[in-house]
Amino acid sequence: MFASIALIAAAMVVAPAFAVRLDQRAGWLLALAPLAVFVHFLMLMPEVAAGGVLSQHFVWVPALGIELSFRLDGLSLLFALLISGIGTLIVLYAGAYLSDHHHLGRFYAYLLGFMAAMLGLVLADDLIAMFLFWELTSITSFLLISFKHEQAESRRSALQALLITGGGGLALLAGLILLAHAGGSWQFSTLSTEAVASHPLYPAILTLVLIGAFTKSAQLPFHLWLPNAMAAPTPVSAFLHSATMVKAGVYLLARLNPTLGGSTSWTAILLTVGAATALAGAVLAIRQNDLKRVLAYTTITVLGQLTMLLATNTHYGLQAFAIYLVAHAFYKAALFMAVGAVDHATGTRQVAQLGGLIRFMPITGFAVALAAFSNAGLPPFFGFIAKEFKYAGLIDLGLVGWITTAVMVVTNALLLAAAGVVFVRTFLGPRANYPRVPHEVSLPMWIGPMLLAVGGFLFGAFNNLAEIWLIDAAVQAVSGRAVPVDLYLWGGLTPALVASVLTVGLGVAFYLQRTRLRRRISLWRVLWRVRGDVHWDRLLKRIFAFGAKIADFFQHGSLSQHMRSLTAAIAGVLVLALIAAGGVPWPAVSRPPDAAALAGCLLAVAGAAAAARMRGRIVIVAALGVSGLGLALTFLAARAPDVAITQLMVETLSVVFLALVLRRLPPDRAIGQARPAIRRIHAIIALAIGAGVAAMMLLTFSQPLPGDVAQWYLNTSLPGGKGANVVNVILVDFRALDTLGEILVVALAALGAAKLFAHHPPGAGAATGSDEFASVLLRQAIRPLAALLAIVSLMLLWRGHNLPGGGFIGGLVAACAALLIALSAGADRARRLFRVGPVATLAAGLALSATAGVIALLQGQAFLTGHWVFPGGLPLGTPLLFDAGVFLTVLGAVLHALFTLLEREA
Amino acid sequence: MEVLVSITVGLLVAIGIWMLLDGSLLRVVIGIVVLGNGVNLAVFASGRLGARAAAFITDAGAPPLAADPLPQALVLTAIVIGFALFVFALAVLKRSWEAHDTVEADRISAVAEEAATDTMPDAPAGRDTAAERGT
Repeated sequence: MFASIALIAAAMVVAPAFAVRLDQRAGWLLALAPLAVFVHFLMLMPEVAAGGVLSQHFVWVPALGIELSFRLDGLSLLFALLISGIGTLIVLYAGAYLSDHHHLGRFYAYLLGFMAAMLGLVLADDLIAMFLFWELTSITSFLLISFKHEQAESRRSALQALLITGGGGLALLAGLILLAHAGGSWQFSTLSTEAVASHPLYPAILTLVLIGAFTKSAQLPFHLWLPNAMAAPTPVSAFLHSATMVKAGVYLLARLNPTLGGSTSWTAILLTVGAATALAGAVLAIRQNDLKRVLAYTTITVLGQLTMLLATNTHYGLQAFAIYLVAHAFYKAALFMAVGAVDHATGTRQVAQLGGLIRFMPITGFAVALAAFSNAGLPPFFGFIAKEFKYAGLIDLGLVGWITTAVMVVTNALLLAAAGVVFVRTFLGPRANYPRVPHEVSLPMWIGPMLLAVGGFLFGAFNNLAEIWLIDAAVQAVSGRAVPVDLYLWGGLTPALVASVLTVGLGVAFYLQRTRLRRRISLWRVLWRVRGDVHWDRLLKRIFAFGAKIADFFQHGSLSQHMRSLTAAIAGVLVLALIAAGGVPWPAVSRPPDAAALAGCLLAVAGAAAAARMRGRIVIVAALGVSGLGLALTFLAARAPDVAITQLMVETLSVVFLALVLRRLPPDRAIGQARPAIRRIHAIIALAIGAGVAAMMLLTFSQPLPGDVAQWYLNTSLPGGKGANVVNVILVDFRALDTLGEILVVALAALGAAKLFAHHPPGAGAATGSDEFASVLLRQAIRPLAALLAIVSLMLLWRGHNLPGGGFIGGLVAACAALLIALSAGADRARRLFRVGPVATLAAGLALSATAGVIALLQGQAFLTGHWVFPGGLPLGTPLLFDAGVFLTVLGAVLHALFTLLEREA
Repeated sequence: MEVLVSITVGLLVAIGIWMLLDGSLLRVVIGIVVLGNGVNLAVFASGRLGARAAAFITDAGAPPLAADPLPQALVLTAIVIGFALFVFALAVLKRSWEAHDTVEADRISAVAEEAATDTMPDAPAGRDTAAERGT
């Protein structure tokens, strides 16, 4: 089953290339894919007819119980045969119909893509898999309707279809999830009927699933999109919008009939909506002048009738459902293709301009005659059996049944009249004034309608074949319990036969009096004032306007307003969290703050406050530096030497970068916002967040630290990581993958910053260095200092595994050494001195770190697992290699940004 | 120690947020640094502050009351990444000044961005024909 979907999907992929290379022959070749699938399912028919069920499972989301499972029972087989069989004919037909279209390849691809999705839909047993294919059919339908996308009407129709079916799809998804929840399974086949029926969510499930099914199958009031979808090329209308996709909704109803179908509300809703849809479609069909639109509205009628039949849940009703499904797919696809052929041959689809075509197109005419007879429900065609069973199925229901039978009789009579329009009016009678001289169409264009029409005849005449092989198994699948199936043409003088005779009489009368009938219908002005399309456009316009209003409110383009709402929200959340926590306990003090910590914290806060309040640029730089140094002191006091050194080095480099950029910026204007009210709001928000965070900290401290992660690291570091500096071992061994990601971020940020710095044209500073360093003594003194720093940095890198230091700290110190040279002698000289470019250094660093990880992979262990060798008692391992990579990356990143900035200084 | 660090974090965050709310991009950039410092200290302190010894293993094994090494490692990389972010923010600041002659955030948006146009898709165009077809 999965292979059949995959085969058609593969055909979709190669279709565009085939269409370009092979020209006319591509259609014949591509049609082989659905043909093979058709034959495959045909061969499975005996097994399924004997009551067998085939299934296939693929693991998908095992944690949620969702799997890609397929199941072939009678109903699925019926649909799969229709899809692949009619699909084969449609591919052939499309090749001839659009032979001169420059995007024929794309059309094939869409068509085959739809076919694969539709097959998946009817074969899927998993609710989510079914939904996935369901949405795929909506999307391919969108692409096919908008195939002539240069026409505004096509685009509008496509969007309308997508929004309506897609909106229904959302409801369906919600319904399916609830259904799985209530039924205790994600598979159609194992849903528990009793659990669903008695579940309190049953009404919600029913509503949501029905919305999904009704939108897809164009039931009132969602029927709008279907007639408009006729903007698509005729092969699409024949395949998607009559024979297959629109039946997906009905398919879903049939599939869920055993699960959801027991209730009164199911019967009531389906009967009402189905009857209303059938009536509306039939009345509207009679009013159309365009042959394609006549067929589109009759399709709506049929979909309504199918819904009604499902509602009956009687054995005649369900048989009628299965028979009618097949009969309709046969004759409607045939009629659509024939109408396309007429359009192709004469250049028009307007009824008024057609007539007497049988002279020019005898083969097409013959096919249309057969299909129209089936459509009209005349014996011995399959459509006749369908009609008989429909009546029998509805009459079974008692009083409600008689009313619905009346609806059925009227709609069927109108269908008969419509069939008359399509055959009698178009093909018989005197020849009309065609825009073009008509001609018989080529074989690929008449073979489809002919086969389907003859098939409709044969199924009717030799109905026991259809019964044994197809209808029986399908009906069993729909009903969920054993149902006797017995097809017949002549059932004796039953009420159904009387209704049938009545239908034919009424239908012929309708056809003969159709002009008067149309005039009479158009007199119901009240009815025509309700124009769905106008309301649809109005609704869409309002939604767009509403969306624009919302967007204007939130996307105003002001950064400070965004920040204001964002921070206010954070403050609100913090306050709520504190209220929820129920007050802030005073934490147990582990130890009194020592002098260093106190001084550090004071410096950090005072520096930050000064940077915030002062205006001079030098002052800001200095204040920020002081704040950072204070923080470093605090870290040191809290027994974190590595963090303190890192903070120290970063602060040094930050000050230099800030100073270099600041001197090119204008003097700062007034601090804070101009309006006092806003200034107050800002102060309140800032204080609220600050106080909230402080309270959160106290709350954290009052809780014990969960787990003993710290102890594990302390215990494992030396035996497992061969290092005494636990912080460094974590960085380069235990959590090396994190570190790899982090140095990647650093590298990317530096590359990005350098790109922005480089936008400025190069200035004179590059060659000479800064004038501030002009003193010979200073320049001479700086060199040995830089050299010393470079050596220290290497030492820090080397010893970092056991003592304070490591790749990050070493890299930052080395960057400081380079900074000294670059500032005094100029970036140009510094570049020459280093020989290797910063970007190359950076890349080499990343590569080295990655290599250190790959070594473990080569030895069959997880990425970045440490490996050690001990030549002469000296521990050497991949974590050291990794740390060297960190060193080079950090060094390269800082130097790249620094050199670029210095070079572009004017 | 706990109270001191909590107050320091609170003040740093408050000052950082206050600067983030400023209209001048320069102050926003410095605000990011101050806020980052505060958050780093907070993450660091989440490992608790009772340590009497740094997280180094001696010959006698791990010292009693050793500091929690995990938050230290996290904060160490956070400091370096914060630095990279700061340099990038400075580059953006410098580029904005060069491109727009201002470091006022709202004025930059005003000159750099066109107002978005909210136009309907094809619905109005197709509407008349649709109305006719509906009858």
